[in-house]
Amino acid sequence: MAKAVGIDLGTTNSVVAVMEGGNPTVIINNEGNRLTPSVVGFTKTGERLVGQLARRQAVLNADSTIYSAKRFIGRRYNEVQDEIKNVPFKVGPGPNNAVRFDIQGKQHAPEEIAAMVLRKLVEDAAKYLGEKVTDAVITVPAYFNDAQRTATRDAGKIAGLNVLRIINEPTAAALAYGLDKKTSETVLVFDLGGGTFDVSILEVGEGVFEVKATAGDTHLGGDDFDKRVVDWLAEEFRREQGIDLRQDRQALQRLTEAAEKAKIELSSVVETTISLPFITADAAGPKHLEMRLTRAKFEQLTADLVERCVGPVQQALADAKLTARDLDEVVLVGGSTRIPAVQALVRRLTGGKEPNQSVNPDEVVAVGAAIQAGVLAGEVQDVVLLDVTPLSLGVETLGGVMTKLIERNTTIPVRRSETFSTAEDNQSAVDIHVLQGERELARDNRTLGHFRLEGIAPAPRGLPQIDVAFDIDANGILTVTARDKTTGKEQSITISGSTQLSKEEIDRMVSDAQRHAAEDRQQREAVEARNQADTVAYQVERQLYELGDRTPMHERARAENMIQEIRQLVKDQSTDMARLRQLSSDLQQLAAGLAASGYTQETAGSASGAGRDGRQRGGAADEVIDAEFKPRS
Amino acid sequence: MTQAEQRLDENRSAALAEIERLQQALNREHAMHLRALADFDNYRKRVQRERESAAQAGKRPLVLALLDVMDDFERALAYANTAPASILTGARVIHQRLMDLLLAQGVVPYASAGQPFDPALHEAVDVINTNQATPGVVLNELSHGYRWGDEVLRPARVRVAQ
Repeated sequence: MAKAVGIDLGTTNSVVAVMEGGNPTVIINNEGNRLTPSVVGFTKTGERLVGQLARRQAVLNADSTIYSAKRFIGRRYNEVQDEIKNVPFKVGPGPNNAVRFDIQGKQHAPEEIAAMVLRKLVEDAAKYLGEKVTDAVITVPAYFNDAQRTATRDAGKIAGLNVLRIINEPTAAALAYGLDKKTSETVLVFDLGGGTFDVSILEVGEGVFEVKATAGDTHLGGDDFDKRVVDWLAEEFRREQGIDLRQDRQALQRLTEAAEKAKIELSSVVETTISLPFITADAAGPKHLEMRLTRAKFEQLTADLVERCVGPVQQALADAKLTARDLDEVVLVGGSTRIPAVQALVRRLTGGKEPNQSVNPDEVVAVGAAIQAGVLAGEVQDVVLLDVTPLSLGVETLGGVMTKLIERNTTIPVRRSETFSTAEDNQSAVDIHVLQGERELARDNRTLGHFRLEGIAPAPRGLPQIDVAFDIDANGILTVTARDKTTGKEQSITISGSTQLSKEEIDRMVSDAQRHAAEDRQQREAVEARNQADTVAYQVERQLYELGDRTPMHERARAENMIQEIRQLVKDQSTDMARLRQLSSDLQQLAAGLAASGYTQETAGSASGAGRDGRQRGGAADEVIDAEFKPRS
Repeated sequence: MTQAEQRLDENRSAALAEIERLQQALNREHAMHLRALADFDNYRKRVQRERESAAQAGKRPLVLALLDVMDDFERALAYANTAPASILTGARVIHQRLMDLLLAQGVVPYASAGQPFDPALHEAVDVINTNQATPGVVLNELSHGYRWGDEVLRPARVRVAQ
């Protein structure tokens, strides 16, 4: 079956996405980009270029390079007079007062141009997917009227597409966040793109979206922010050097690119440097531009642009007869919503609500369209929504650390098992302490349950193999089973509700773990260093015992001294990792010396070396032992 | 109970047993299906994590090579006051080293001046009215274009004759 795609047909850029294995994926075009410029160029040789290539020749061919076709689609000629002033190509009236682009003596309807962009998107998608693409969902602004929607649908048809549905851009954005699953919610979608600003208020109920109000500014976007930075840079440079860089096309292009880059950087850092070496030259020689731009200065330069967003938001709320308090969700769309000042404004205008912004704002509309396409094509219909474990699950092991078997955010149902061993000779039982949480030490995590596995056959420590399996079924019910491999004895516990924690509780536990990450890691490393030293001490002790009098006196004395020191450090719960590691390695070296000089043969029990992370290799069998259980106290 | 009724009854209990058996089989299959889906999802997460760390690891040799170029520049700048003329020679050497580094990565510059304008290779920054050259031909490069293997890594920025 052919794939159905979702297309965000934008004023400046377009994006196409598709459902793959139940997940929306943005498709990379032939040029290797996720965004395709909505630009079509007709060259003098009669060639037609779409996207990045069209944009590259725009300067050469300004009157035959069409962009912003979306501003004209489905509109009457007399409605678009203001738009015509902003574009370098010829726009004239067609039949029935329709809009026509006059290109090299030939008339093209805006829907034809849109169709060429759609064709390119779909062809690139087909190449990416390796199969034909015939069905699509296309998005339009919520304020588009019937004529504009029909024209967009026609563009799809001209492009040879079966247009499954035309949906509103804000609806698509809300779909990308799964807001259709909500029973009754009011959603504000704030969309600040490259050149247009749209606010929409949606009401969602039973999977149906209703647009309550729309407002916006058709000529406000990220490009305006760039231009402010360009003008500032150029003015500063002119004051210092007396040259207006904006008069030089090459310099202007470098300035514009640097300005956009600086703007983007200032969303994550508070200061950036703009350097453009050899930006121009005069009789005195080459000139370089190097300027620092702080976020504060950037905000000052663009304060009025940000302020222009206020009116439309208030207008939309007033038209929907709502106040900020009535909003349940806020969704950010468009790259410019990454600007901190814009985000702060949105929070201020929506009563401090935390906006949805985890999906890339440049792609969120296409992602929502792809989800809708998947539903309409029947692909998503049977998708089973699988839960994830909100927190990690594991058991307590020697030294009071938590050994995780299932990491947080693992999709369930899932089964994971590891092999553990005993920490003492002839240990006859192990305690399984089932834990949930992100902290390194057992005592800082939540206890889900306890049980004991008894009847382990007497054996030296590290030899018994105890398989511990964690199994979470589709309902989130956790079963922990411990099984002694030698005797086959088995014990288990079933715990329900391990996945049913409140969001606040989960967030708290995760942030606790982040806050304590450094000290926790240190503590864990100390435990592991102690465990390792203790293991080495134990092994060397056994080695000495087996050797009996064959060990030279002074070697034996040295070893015994070190063993004694280790035992003391372990007993005191020492955190002197350097000393512990030193002792482990010295003692290991000494033991290796004894073995090498033919005093002994390595026996199973004295197989040396605790591995990395203090995890240890078992003796007799070549099975990996992941950790040890402390003896019953 | 007639014989017919008895037969019906037997059929019924057989059918019930069959339903029970199928129900169990279905539950088993469903559980297996869910596990396979979850396994796939966890696999996808793991691949994603591994891809991210592989991308990071992939940058390492290149970043290290860039540090050598950085060292060279710092050595050159150290002579800014004492022997400024020597910096020019040094800059040429550093430029060559950087170019060699790019070539070693398969990044190759291409010449554009005098070629007909091609949007696949060139980005027009400016148009110059001239009778010195055929219209539509690249007059000069403002910055070079580079190929990386088969793809155009970055088009050349050019001035075009008109």
